[in-house]
Amino acid sequence: MFREFLTRLRLLIAGRSRDEVDEEVRFHLEQQIDANILSGMSRDEARRQAGIAFGGVERTREQCREVRPGYWLETLVQDVRYAVRSFWRNPSFSLTVVLTLTLGIGSTTAVFSVVDRILFRSLPYGDSGRLVSVGLVAPIEPEEFMLGGSYYEWQDNQKPFVALTSEIGTEPCDLTETNPARLDCARVEGNFLPTLGVSPVIGRNFTANEDRPNGPRAALISYGLWRSRYRLDPGVVGTLMRIDGNATEIVGVLPNDFEMPRLQAADVLLAQRLNVAAERRADPGHPMWAFARLKPGVGAEEAKAELGTLFEYSLRLAPAPFRKEVHLQVRSLRDRQVHEVRLAAWILFGLVLADLLIASANVTGLMLARGASREKELSVRSALGAGRIRLVRQALTESFTLTLAGGIAGCLLAMLLLRIFVAMAPDGLPFLSKARIDLRILLFALVTSVLFAILFGLLSGIRKVRTDALTGRTRTTMRHAVLRRWLVIAQIAASMVLLAGGILLVRSFWNIEKQSLGMNAENIVTAAITLGQTSYPTQESQMAFFQRLERNLRYGPGIAAFAISDSLPPGGYHDDQIFAALRVEGRPALVSGTGGRVASRWVTPEYFRALQIPIVQGQGFSEEETASNDHFVVLSRALAGRIFLGQNPIGQHLHLHNGATAESDPAYTVVGVAADVKNGGLAGGDEPEYYRLRRRRAQDWDRDSILILKTTLPPGETEAWIRSQVASLDPTVPVNLKTLSEKVGKLADRPRFEMLLVGFFALTGLLLAVIGLYGVISYFVVQRTQEIGIRMAVGASQADILRLVMANALRLIVPGVTLGLVLTLTLSRFLSSLLFNVSAHDPMTFAGVMGLLILVTLLATLIPGISAAKVNPTIALRHD
Amino acid sequence: MPQPTDLLQGTLDLLILRTLVLEPMHGWGIAQRIQQVSQEVFQIGQGSLYPALHRLEYKGWIQADWKASENNRKAKYYSLTRTGKKQLEVEIESWDRLASAVALVLEQG
Repeated sequence: MFREFLTRLRLLIAGRSRDEVDEEVRFHLEQQIDANILSGMSRDEARRQAGIAFGGVERTREQCREVRPGYWLETLVQDVRYAVRSFWRNPSFSLTVVLTLTLGIGSTTAVFSVVDRILFRSLPYGDSGRLVSVGLVAPIEPEEFMLGGSYYEWQDNQKPFVALTSEIGTEPCDLTETNPARLDCARVEGNFLPTLGVSPVIGRNFTANEDRPNGPRAALISYGLWRSRYRLDPGVVGTLMRIDGNATEIVGVLPNDFEMPRLQAADVLLAQRLNVAAERRADPGHPMWAFARLKPGVGAEEAKAELGTLFEYSLRLAPAPFRKEVHLQVRSLRDRQVHEVRLAAWILFGLVLADLLIASANVTGLMLARGASREKELSVRSALGAGRIRLVRQALTESFTLTLAGGIAGCLLAMLLLRIFVAMAPDGLPFLSKARIDLRILLFALVTSVLFAILFGLLSGIRKVRTDALTGRTRTTMRHAVLRRWLVIAQIAASMVLLAGGILLVRSFWNIEKQSLGMNAENIVTAAITLGQTSYPTQESQMAFFQRLERNLRYGPGIAAFAISDSLPPGGYHDDQIFAALRVEGRPALVSGTGGRVASRWVTPEYFRALQIPIVQGQGFSEEETASNDHFVVLSRALAGRIFLGQNPIGQHLHLHNGATAESDPAYTVVGVAADVKNGGLAGGDEPEYYRLRRRRAQDWDRDSILILKTTLPPGETEAWIRSQVASLDPTVPVNLKTLSEKVGKLADRPRFEMLLVGFFALTGLLLAVIGLYGVISYFVVQRTQEIGIRMAVGASQADILRLVMANALRLIVPGVTLGLVLTLTLSRFLSSLLFNVSAHDPMTFAGVMGLLILVTLLATLIPGISAAKVNPTIALRHD
Repeated sequence: MPQPTDLLQGTLDLLILRTLVLEPMHGWGIAQRIQQVSQEVFQIGQGSLYPALHRLEYKGWIQADWKASENNRKAKYYSLTRTGKKQLEVEIESWDRLASAVALVLEQG
């Protein structure tokens, strides 16, 4: 009979190793029975005594299994299977947790990748931490620059640097060979590359001789040019290329990752070949940008202090209006490169952390609720003999499984988001296109999720399993209820911050889009043309080309107006100068300082008509004036108001370059005043502006011009026609065609990008907070089903119950929103530099966000509230 | 007969190893031998013997072979391995230290 029992047992629990244990145990028992019989017991008694002496067979079997080396793996598999099964039973819970984690980890990782590229990337220079950008700053030029008049004095006498170097900017240049091409040429000092710690991949750097005014012409080419034009042929070093008609020896190739310190595009590096002796005497000298390598142990601040006397020297050279406004600046190269995007990057980072906070609060809350609702199950398992450790491990396994799923999905989401960011990003954000999910960031996400896992696992597993949970009264411990309430309050507060930020940016973007440009950009096709230096070396030839083009285009199909200018509003490059250089004939100087910047353009007479800029006083330019020997100017309303203070400016004579020689500072007759047009970008501050008439005289012309055509035809047709007309004049001249609306739209890319990003995070945050609140309230309802049943049994109406649930929700919503308001008021000022015509404390926005948040959160509680009101008292009282 | 004493943690390992020095034995034999030799002081819960045996086997201190028993049944015989013999010496030594320490305390106290 006993044998039968064992056999049955063995059949029940198959497994080879179990068989062995069974066999062993059976042998043991039989031996004992035999021994007992020998000592005189009856067979039955012998069997009974043997069983008693042995103890629990099942327990022995279990213990034998536990000492097996692979036991932990076995239980792990078991735990995972159990976890997956229980998730399957409760898919909405599991899905919510995984989704929350996916959003949290995914967005964090993606943004971390972007921010990492922008703020913390390593610069492609040797020991780049010691590189600084050095120079003067002034209100009219907030990025540091240098002037040849004092640069060499600094270079000779500076103490804090190992080396000081300079570049004088990049310009378009022409490769005039078979297969001509337009390139970007950067002009740099001879010691430029050594100072930056860059060595050519092949060839050499410039020699001292090559950086002299009439030295041999030498060039280093970029890796990109080497690949595209020379197919990585190492034999290119030592050969000649013709740049703007000059034979120039290629002496080396730059590394693949080389970039100019100010991040301009550069295909070719040329020695700047400045005449140092002449520069030293010059005032102010050639504008340049200086970079230096700090000596070991010297910081940027110390370097700035040590440069004090040299700065004094430069100040003495500076023209009087500048002296009060110029400052010395020494900052790390990285700072110079990122300072504009740094704020945006940090804001983005903050947003993501807020999202992560909401996500983790959410998951914690969900886990707590689940832990509480499973209290009974855990008690049962504990009563059946599951050890405490085993239960905690089970809980950890569950949360690991969930977070792992969330982590993997999060990584996928991060890759997707990153791709979207890169696709959406405007050109102005440096390095974004090079952002990658790298190994560190992946680890970051995984570590985050593992930390989550441990936290959640412990939260739901470490609680003491209370035996009274089996009595049927389900009541969570107060501590956890309080913790969960605070989590929800924190979520609401965080999503309030996100939402407010998002809506402020949306409003700001709206303002940018809706503002008046001061002109009509509709149906305007623009064609930017830069003439080559070799084909059009003189101003005469340049003017001739543009005038022939004008003749061919002016009366073309659908052309309503035609103008040529050197630049275009509302953003981008235009000439400017300081206000103090303006002088009205017969009057004293206008201001004592620089007076800020004044924008200027060269235009042909139809400019105002083409862009529909109203002339508010006097008149615009006329065709007759283009033949005149005199100079004519139209002022913007802002400039006229500032110079003439309400008096009539028409007919007055204006000098534009006070202090220059009489020949280069002729008197301009003011013929009219035009309405103001935006000229500092869409969100930037506008400068007062004047327009000079481009007459039929060579001195008014330049290689760079923009044709402005008002057309009644579809822009595509006009563009094709312009292209053909330019080609018929000179097929080698490149034309850059764009409608003015496209140009304006492109300026809005950056604010649009910012708005979309912040909006994305605000919505994610709101969604997560709503999920969290919904979870808490529905849990509250489930928990109190019994209480609700009793209330209804003693006469509470459905409305009363709904009110009870809603009141409970309001106790979370009101403190959450209040806390959020305080946080938002303190944090939103960081946004203010990104905002346009919206106060960072805009009351409308704040009221709207509060209303929206309260509405959405109340809606989230409505569903569980209604289900509570529908509780059937008789069923509820039998609940549990 | 004195009350059977609970085995000190880890002592069971020592007793098993010591018992197996003489000859390979099966589990029941080991239990009987320990009881007899200790003059019934150690009443091993026979069930707890097997997890201990298995653990020692996994550690490589003893090895098991299925052989026919004295009454011709299939039984699992355990025998000491070389590391088991070394381990026994270590265990005896540490037990001696423990015992003399306890004795010292008892005499002094």
